Amino acid sequence: MEYLKPDEIVELFKKKLDESAIIDSRVETKTAGVKKNSYSVIWLQVNPISFKDAIKLLCTIQFPHLAIISGNDLDKEIELTYHFSIYYGGRFKEISINLATYLPKEDLKIPTITDLIPGAQTTERELKEMFGVTIEGLPDLPNIFLPQDFPKGVYPLRKDEKGVEIKVERKDEVKKIE
Amino acid sequence: MSKMSYSVPIGPVHPSLKEPMTFNFEIYGERIEKVNLAPGDNHRGIEFMGRQRNPIQIIYLAERICGICSASHPFAFCQAVENAAGIEVPERAQYIRVIIAELERIHSHILWAGVAAHELGFDSILYLTWRAREEVLDLLEYLTGNRINYGIFMIGGVRRDITKEHIPRIKKTLEYYKDIYAKLEDVFLNDPTIALRTKNVGILTTEDALRLCAVGPTARASGITKDIRQDQPYAAYADLEVKAITPDALTGEVHGDIYDRIIVRLLEVVQSIQIIEQCIENIPSGEIIAEKKLVKLLNQLKKAKGEGIGRHEAPRGECIHYVKLNESELPEVWKARAPTYNNLMTWVPMLIGQQIADIPIVIASIDPCIACMDRVTILNKDNGQKSILAKEDLHKLSVQKTRRITP
Amino acid sequence: MTIEGLLIILLKIIGAVIIAFLGVILGLFYKGIDRKLAAKMQARVGPPIRQPFMDFFKLMIKENIVPENAVPWIFNGVPVMTLVATITILFYLPIGNISPLLSGYGDIVLIIYLLTLPAIGMVVGGFASGSPYANVGAQREMVMMMSYELPLVTTVIAIGWKLSQVYPQLNVFSLAVINAHPIWGLVGPLGFVGALLLLITLAIVTPGELSKIPFDVPEAETELAGGLLVEYSGRNLALFSLADAVKTIVMVSLTVALFFPYNIAHLFDLSGIFAIGIDSLFFLVKLLLIMFVEVTFIRVAAARLKIDQVSYAYWVPLSIIGLLGLSLIVLDTIMI
Repeated sequence: MEYLKPDEIVELFKKKLDESAIIDSRVETKTAGVKKNSYSVIWLQVNPISFKDAIKLLCTIQFPHLAIISGNDLDKEIELTYHFSIYYGGRFKEISINLATYLPKEDLKIPTITDLIPGAQTTERELKEMFGVTIEGLPDLPNIFLPQDFPKGVYPLRKDEKGVEIKVERKDEVKKIE
Repeated sequence: MSKMSYSVPIGPVHPSLKEPMTFNFEIYGERIEKVNLAPGDNHRGIEFMGRQRNPIQIIYLAERICGICSASHPFAFCQAVENAAGIEVPERAQYIRVIIAELERIHSHILWAGVAAHELGFDSILYLTWRAREEVLDLLEYLTGNRINYGIFMIGGVRRDITKEHIPRIKKTLEYYKDIYAKLEDVFLNDPTIALRTKNVGILTTEDALRLCAVGPTARASGITKDIRQDQPYAAYADLEVKAITPDALTGEVHGDIYDRIIVRLLEVVQSIQIIEQCIENIPSGEIIAEKKLVKLLNQLKKAKGEGIGRHEAPRGECIHYVKLNESELPEVWKARAPTYNNLMTWVPMLIGQQIADIPIVIASIDPCIACMDRVTILNKDNGQKSILAKEDLHKLSVQKTRRITP
Repeated sequence: MTIEGLLIILLKIIGAVIIAFLGVILGLFYKGIDRKLAAKMQARVGPPIRQPFMDFFKLMIKENIVPENAVPWIFNGVPVMTLVATITILFYLPIGNISPLLSGYGDIVLIIYLLTLPAIGMVVGGFASGSPYANVGAQREMVMMMSYELPLVTTVIAIGWKLSQVYPQLNVFSLAVINAHPIWGLVGPLGFVGALLLLITLAIVTPGELSKIPFDVPEAETELAGGLLVEYSGRNLALFSLADAVKTIVMVSLTVALFFPYNIAHLFDLSGIFAIGIDSLFFLVKLLLIMFVEVTFIRVAAARLKIDQVSYAYWVPLSIIGLLGLSLIVLDTIMI
């Protein structure tokens, strides 16, 4: 198998996709152990429009392993980060690729990637429940982690008015005397 | 006559499940036609709780995601924070972390072996393995102070050193496991009834394992050489020779059935023993933590900005934590993902076409950790009315319930 | 009817009550020993020997719940029927050198019929519970019944046939006769091997008949959560546990009666009440040893099989072993 270097992967993404597709890219190198052997982590920020193309491109390198999609509520928009890894199976060969994309709150839509990676279903369903992101093309399945009778339009991990308030009062906390 | 199938629910509480989870099976005769997974019975809202805690407090929360993975989650979380904040971990601490993680792997795999035997109705092996497991738990207690929830991980290092006095005790335990391993291998791999129940049962093809993003022993038993300790070595694994174990190491071929998963886990016990031995031999001297003063560490984290992932090959597979720090006391994002989360989907191809009798062992074969998988939930909400439940109210409610059921 | 006839009937009734009582106590006691032995073999402490008694009394005071979907009169009637059918078998079994209480009123063929009754009772009870687990369990129990019947009957027929060849004038299927003429003394070397094969067959049928691991598929704790018994609680469950305990005694006694009907009283030149006493004691020891081999040992040394594997095991290998035993005995007789 031919292994590309982390920088070459970033170059590949920039070359194969539209000019505006890759907004930001970063390659980190981490070392570990006494011998200071290193491994690389790639962070890419992708335009939501070319997101599916980016995943398709990723699939051409090697069938990627999707770990999880993490979400982050940034007030005006929601940041989704897809944590992939490729080149598994060889010592020191694996590279983590994190594809981030920003979705504005007015248009919370992202195409599903389950047609490319069927294993993404669980995490996409979780994303749908926790952040209220519409996953286009994902069949409408019942809640996976939240209770079935959970109120509609409430997304627990959102930090805005659609989220939930912290409802446990901590009586043991020391209050400041004003 | 049309086919008459009927549905059998398994869970949320069932003797074959050690943790709550619901399965709905469509059964025709004894054969499984359809599987519906409904997890989520064990949500504790841990990521949500993490929002109100600073990184050091989250370590202990992460530790309590699951009792058995109580070294894996803090290990991954600490790495994620260190990567995000750019903290260098002293080499000695890296070795100690690996020793604890590998001891945990021994205890987890032996525990699994017992559970699997119990699911097969072979209780004698359950008692044999769980007795064997006590030895490593005692060692962990000796090293860290706790049998589970070790409380040894800290951002930037570990909290307790492994000194010269500890070494003979560790060696004694390793010798014990070398002795008992032959017995375990004989019991699991040569017993005719176990072979009858596990060979060609619950097959996961290599292709399915890849497509469904399987991790850990489940993926390796299907022939994918995927092991973070080998692929992307972190901590002391970068110095050690670790090779992903696939069942062909022993039998020469890969079937992807439950028998193969037993082989992989048994061989990993041996591998863990070797790793710990190498660690003890090569452990460098020096500090065990980058920043001793917690207040100073917290201040440093408060000023940090960045994001990082921490990956650890837990006994069940890849455990990944993602942390984003944004110059505030509380981390902006904390995402934890346990191996069972990915292996969840692999149950479907494994179960379809099998018999009812295979359900428990197939479910157990991926070594599921429902507590790890379900992490997020929310307090109850009636008609949009937000109610605050304080500790006293909860106490009052539970007293009421007790009165109700015991007049 | 004469006074003597009435007296005999009265005596039989008193005997029946005593045997039923002793059978139940012995069954629970042996169950305790079985659990203790299994625990020792698994390096555990194990429950005290009186544990089955404590379980029984605890269950008796517990609430008896009848599920909504169940048919109440069947659901409640089945445990009683199971227990009664099992205890009835005890009256046909010889204990030591005491011949069976109802000797002359029924033979081993009746016992085989009676043995199916508890199983049928459990099947009916399972279907009447209206739970999917119990349904699956009942289906499995039916398959089990059909599977172990052939090897069991083979064993009995072989012994009866051999006896009929040697003593054509006797009622060869009567257990009293079988008990008086051990099979081992009647056969040559070839027949001895055949009888050994039959013994193995019966030893493997026993755990199936008793629903013990590796043949406990109808109950299968980790799969069906108790299967047939899943909906039973309180008094009904207590009756089932009694029936199970008595059935263990019955099956083990059957092995003793068919293959080890030896007594030791004549070795010590004892007679009268002492002979009965020592033979009964010896009988209990035989029961214990055979229970250890047939129930406890097999139970701790194997994993549970699947239902298709169970019926295969009974239909193919075990039936072949049984038939081989039978034909060896036939060959042995013809050649002499």
